[in-house]
Amino acid sequence: MTKKLVSFTIVIVLLLVTVVYAATTGSIKMGFFEFIGALFDKGNSQMEAIRDLRFPRIIVALFAGAALSVSGVLLQSVMRNPLADAGVIGISSGAAFVQLFIISFFPALFFMTPVLAFMGGAMACALVFALSWKSGLSPLKLILVGIAINAMFTGLTEAFISLGGSLNTSASSVIGSNLTMRTWKDVSTIVTYGSVGLVAALTLYSWCNLLVLQDKTAKSLGFNVARARLLIAAVAVLLSAISVVVAGVISFVGLLVPHIARRLVGYDHKVLIPFTALAGALLILVADTIGRTIVAPLEIPASTIMAIIGGPFLIFLLRKE
Amino acid sequence: MEIQDIIVSHDNTRNHLDGVTTAIQKGKVTTIIGPNGCGKSTLLSVMSRNNMPKSGHVSLENKDLVHYKSKEFAKKLAIVYQQNDVPKDLTIEKLVSFGRLPHNTMLKRNLEEDAKAIDWALACTNLLEKRNNDLEALSGGERQRVWIAMALAQQSEILCLDEPTTYLDIYYQLELLELVKTLNEEHDLTIIMVLHDINQAIRYSDHIILMNAGHIVAEGVPRDVITKEVIKEVYGVEAIFNEDEQLGLYMVPLGI
Repeated sequence: MTKKLVSFTIVIVLLLVTVVYAATTGSIKMGFFEFIGALFDKGNSQMEAIRDLRFPRIIVALFAGAALSVSGVLLQSVMRNPLADAGVIGISSGAAFVQLFIISFFPALFFMTPVLAFMGGAMACALVFALSWKSGLSPLKLILVGIAINAMFTGLTEAFISLGGSLNTSASSVIGSNLTMRTWKDVSTIVTYGSVGLVAALTLYSWCNLLVLQDKTAKSLGFNVARARLLIAAVAVLLSAISVVVAGVISFVGLLVPHIARRLVGYDHKVLIPFTALAGALLILVADTIGRTIVAPLEIPASTIMAIIGGPFLIFLLRKE
Repeated sequence: MEIQDIIVSHDNTRNHLDGVTTAIQKGKVTTIIGPNGCGKSTLLSVMSRNNMPKSGHVSLENKDLVHYKSKEFAKKLAIVYQQNDVPKDLTIEKLVSFGRLPHNTMLKRNLEEDAKAIDWALACTNLLEKRNNDLEALSGGERQRVWIAMALAQQSEILCLDEPTTYLDIYYQLELLELVKTLNEEHDLTIIMVLHDINQAIRYSDHIILMNAGHIVAEGVPRDVITKEVIKEVYGVEAIFNEDEQLGLYMVPLGI
């Protein structure tokens, strides 16, 4: 019990510290007390710049991190597989491709981007499920199928961008994830859909817990396994799709965070899901803040940093399997 | 429970159950036995609705199984499978509480009744003192009892057990069968189980269903069903039968 409490406290404190640090560091610098004072000072021009440029970026990073991590937990529960991650198994790239493809032909549908991304993610998720179902969703098979699906959608997206050339001016933001130039509009998109997804995930915790039972045992309790799987997977896809729309494809978050979270707070999804959301938010904000400060004025995208940490971590997990 | 003309085929090339008709008596211990691949586990899975028959009907209390809602059925019949994955980081009590699922909905739960049922299930299986222990730390015999406790928490009238003793050593086998006997005698549970050991079946059953190649060969009280001739015919094994005051009827296989 105390371990859980300590873990939550540490993550929340780190989160607050990182938020303040991220807000006050960069080309405009501010001390902590100056920042706190400026928060309530409408006339401060430096604060205006921070408010318009850094706050959206920070909020997007927080929500994208939380959404991707929770999506990882849900996928792992649905597929009963510790290696499932929306980025690694192609759900994010599926979302990215479908969104890009349809918007290019029907620019008028731009307002429906989140829905399109959801459809793309759902398609990729269904493909991975169908193709690895026969092997009983064995972790290794699922990863192999997922990597193939991911490669396919990433390839399609890249080919499409090459062919389209000047047609897609905004396309590059879809494949490489970069959190620069996020606006309050992006914030409202990710906060709206992200909150829906996160709240839904929290209410599904007991179903996630029941999915640790074998299917036939769960069924014998009168538990509708198929319905639960479908709903949890849908929420997972929603969460990853919405972060693709606003923050681009970021892999490995959904793998790394839940794994560490289970070690700290255990396997009960009632605790695991909220903790994962907080820890994921922290991780992406840290990655993004490091990325934009370490070689300033150049920037390393958060997705690149995650890939550098995440790749070795996946190898580590595969060796343990 | 009435079982009528059940035909089941897993692969459409042969019938794994080929026109099985029988009835399960309420309040009795019924054991299904037979050689490997004879369809005994399949029959149990049809009765527990885990396997849908190609044709035929199973009805419980004059209602066809297909007409039961899944939670409604889970209140009537609970089943413990032979092998279960052991989830990580789960206490005995938590797992047993899953058995309350059919009695609750997402919005409505009766905590008091849940607690009572869980306590009862843990008491029956002698796990009260270990309720807060982790599943992973238990022995094979204890784990099997935990799964039974979960099924008991469903508070169903019928309890099905699929080869409950197969992976246990002799001490835990007996302990488990004594538990089954107690559940039947003291708590009026109807028991349907699949066993491999013929002597255990004789000793612990009121009613035996002997199967071979998808058919029921014989059924009835143990001493009528298990005979020298039948064992030779079904298992291809020569055996002698003996009876003594302490052991009752028992069988010793001689050879093939």
